[in-house]
Amino acid sequence: MVGRLMRQPLVTRLPMEGSVSGMHKSPHRGSSVEFAEYREYVPGDDLRRLDWRVFARSDRFYMKEFEADTNLRCHLVLDCSASMNFTGENTNRLDFAKRMAASLAYLAIQQGDAAGLNCIGGAKPFEIPARRNPAHLQIILDALEAAKPKGETKLTDILHELAEKIRRRALVVVISDFFCDIDELLSCLQHLRFQKHDLAVFQLLDPMELEFQFPRPVRFDDLEGPDSLVTEPAMIRDRYLEEINGFLDRLQQGCHEFAADYRRVTLDQDLEKVLSDFLTERAKAMSVSPV
Amino acid sequence: MTFLQPEILWALPLVALPVIIHLLNRLRHRPRAWAAMQFLRAANRSSTSHAKIKQWLILLFRTLAVLALVLFVARPLAGGWIGWALSPAPDAILIVLDRSPSMESKTVGGSATKRELALARLSEAARQFGESSHLILIENALREPQQIAGASALAGLSTTRPSDAAADLPAMLQTAFQWLVDNQAGASEIWIASDLQGSNWLPNDERWQSLVAQFEALPQPVRFRLLAFNEAEEANASISLNELARQTRSNRPELDLSFDIRRSDSGEETVIPIAVNVDGGGSQVEATLDGQSLRWRQRVGVAPESRGGWGSATLPDDGNSTDNTAYFVYGSDSEYSAVVVSSDDANARFFRFAAASRKDGKFNPARQVSQNEAATTDWETDSLIVWQASLPKGETAARVRRFVEEGGSAFFFPLTADDSGSFEGFSWGELEAAEDDETFTIESWDESEGPLSKTEEGLRLPLNELEAIKRRSFLGGEAVLAAYEDGRTFLSRKTIGRGQIYFCGTLPSDEWSTLGDGFSLVPMLRRAMREGGRRLNRETMLECGRLNAVDRAKAWTSVDSPEPKNILSQAGVYRNGDRIIAVNRPESEDDRTVMDADSATALFGDLSMKLWEEARSREDRSQGEIWRLVLSAMLAFLLLEAFLILPDSRPRGTAKEAIKS
Repeated sequence: MVGRLMRQPLVTRLPMEGSVSGMHKSPHRGSSVEFAEYREYVPGDDLRRLDWRVFARSDRFYMKEFEADTNLRCHLVLDCSASMNFTGENTNRLDFAKRMAASLAYLAIQQGDAAGLNCIGGAKPFEIPARRNPAHLQIILDALEAAKPKGETKLTDILHELAEKIRRRALVVVISDFFCDIDELLSCLQHLRFQKHDLAVFQLLDPMELEFQFPRPVRFDDLEGPDSLVTEPAMIRDRYLEEINGFLDRLQQGCHEFAADYRRVTLDQDLEKVLSDFLTERAKAMSVSPV
Repeated sequence: MTFLQPEILWALPLVALPVIIHLLNRLRHRPRAWAAMQFLRAANRSSTSHAKIKQWLILLFRTLAVLALVLFVARPLAGGWIGWALSPAPDAILIVLDRSPSMESKTVGGSATKRELALARLSEAARQFGESSHLILIENALREPQQIAGASALAGLSTTRPSDAAADLPAMLQTAFQWLVDNQAGASEIWIASDLQGSNWLPNDERWQSLVAQFEALPQPVRFRLLAFNEAEEANASISLNELARQTRSNRPELDLSFDIRRSDSGEETVIPIAVNVDGGGSQVEATLDGQSLRWRQRVGVAPESRGGWGSATLPDDGNSTDNTAYFVYGSDSEYSAVVVSSDDANARFFRFAAASRKDGKFNPARQVSQNEAATTDWETDSLIVWQASLPKGETAARVRRFVEEGGSAFFFPLTADDSGSFEGFSWGELEAAEDDETFTIESWDESEGPLSKTEEGLRLPLNELEAIKRRSFLGGEAVLAAYEDGRTFLSRKTIGRGQIYFCGTLPSDEWSTLGDGFSLVPMLRRAMREGGRRLNRETMLECGRLNAVDRAKAWTSVDSPEPKNILSQAGVYRNGDRIIAVNRPESEDDRTVMDADSATALFGDLSMKLWEEARSREDRSQGEIWRLVLSAMLAFLLLEAFLILPDSRPRGTAKEAIKS
């Protein structure tokens, strides 16, 4: 699957700040072959980039600027709270998330970009910094394998911390069910965007959570706490759907406002298709309207 | 509210079934680990009150539906306006139709018979209920409930045509009651059409009390309406056979026929032409009727070689055409015999010789049996029992009664000793002895009919010459046939079934009276023997409607008429193989004593009984069956429940559909 995905590179929709040359746009003008713009000479500019031909024609000094390409820092943020341990008809949500994170890390490192992993919540929260080293991939994969779901979601706190911690522009991919307070969540997503990070949000949901079809009374045991609730699902289904749809709509709307790449994924979807769509659409967006 | 099937109410606890199922369902919940608890809690919080109300409503409607189902099966009845509004028509209308011969009388000035008038009015009244009520006909001849298609069909039914069977109103109402019970009918009405003839209604019959009690005990309301035709009738005369005997006199076989002719008007002396038909040969004879009734005797010769045949006597057409003919069949010479139950040989000797039989030209004294032997002795071929013993009790009394009911005669004489027993209302009293040189003499006796009537030649029995030294008083009897000078009864009679019981207060021995001279005793007993001969004809001379079950099953063809007749409901002469029988209307039908409407309605006690002419009131229709209401309520509850559990029809896609879109 990853081999097929590699045909489509993982690109960012925003210029990245990298330490080495790469395939991603940089906010800085550099010496690549891709022309960017002309601007008037100011004292102190490098005379090597003065366009003499324009000077000859117009008797003015113009600096010829080119796009600078740099590498990508991809920070994968994986929610390992207990709610990620939900298993619907087929797939466990955390397993799905792990495979998604592993695939993205592989793609990034394979194309020479740096990949890091933040595991939020879980039995042992950890943070693996973004590195380009191919050996780093194995570290990420081992960490993913060891990640166990546990505890309440502290996603918003960690995302705020990350927003501050990641100094350079990076691609931040958050994989979670986002079952937390919507206002706080939107706040931290906004924070990330404010730091000029390219933000991709994968919300993993089970069809069961979206359809809420139960023929008989059910005792719902909270995955993140000791509470349980016995109810007749048919009686509250309408209200439940209203609540969850309202939440999803607000999240989607918020991401749209902050130009975050929001992707709602159901666990019965094919992971390859999900990632393929993700990569393709990002590439398309890049070619049509580079930011 | 009352119920037609209250035992179904035992199923009322079933109304808790929906609640129990609900609770069991709640207990059977499945555990489910859930992540999206925040939405679940919010949904549960916001929809709790609404969902609970909805849930309680669903439970309520389910419970009410089960309750309505139980009530529906229990068939509730409601009174007052509800009952009237919801059950305007009775579930069943049972038409009890008296089509006995007396109903063929025409009212004064009218051209239609009472039966025809009754049918017309019943049809008219039933027409408004034809669609909504079951119409059941119960008539007197067959007495079998018959469902009829509609009011218009009533007059065309063969079972509403004239019949020669008597009506037994208590039995007909018992049939109606049984139909109501068997068919579990709802609110019903019983329409009785009758001329209130006393012999049909039997107002003193004990069955009335039990009938009223039975109808009162019915859970469903039953209302009675009486269509009475007891007004004056057109002048009418009827004829019925009293006695038939074949005797050979001077080697010429003859039929001694005795008919009773009655007429309704007590007018002047009238000569009535009577057509007598024997074996198809007819003759016209005239009888002079002076007064209301006449016992008309007629002797008719028959062919010497004839071993049996049939005949009839017919009056001219009058106000009632069904009682103008009496049919008879005859066999070989009639032979009568008697049995004397006595241990008093001195007196029994007189009885044995007085009631001797004649066989093969020789006189044979009647046989004598003791009281103990009377319980088992065979008196199948006898027509008279002379009883001079303690009054019969127990099974013996039942045997004697059966003997009389079949048409036999029973003559009771006193014992020399006191007897404290009683039989059929008779009981012996004190022994009285005449004072010295004095005797008890008979002053008056019935010479018109009975055992002391005049001879065929018109001669009086010499009863005035009878002298009694001793006599025993007695109580009981319906008619005093002879009385002493001091007014004490000498001879009394009671009719039971087709036969008679006689009680005579003295004995033929010399210590008691001169009865042993024979001038009175012999004709008295011989006439009783002959009268009792009816018993011997019980197999060939039947009352219409009294055919036994075995004979009912046989195929009978009419002999007296070329038209086919129904032996169960029509008088006539019928043949089945070699057997020939005569069927006549019951004698009781000629007794035109009628009751007044108030007396008839009083028989129904506290039951709802109204005369036809009385207007229907709301009260009449109270206690109607309201199963339709209950059924509608049940359906409404089920519909409401279904509406509540319907999924919301508003277009609300799931979140998953939103993703796909």
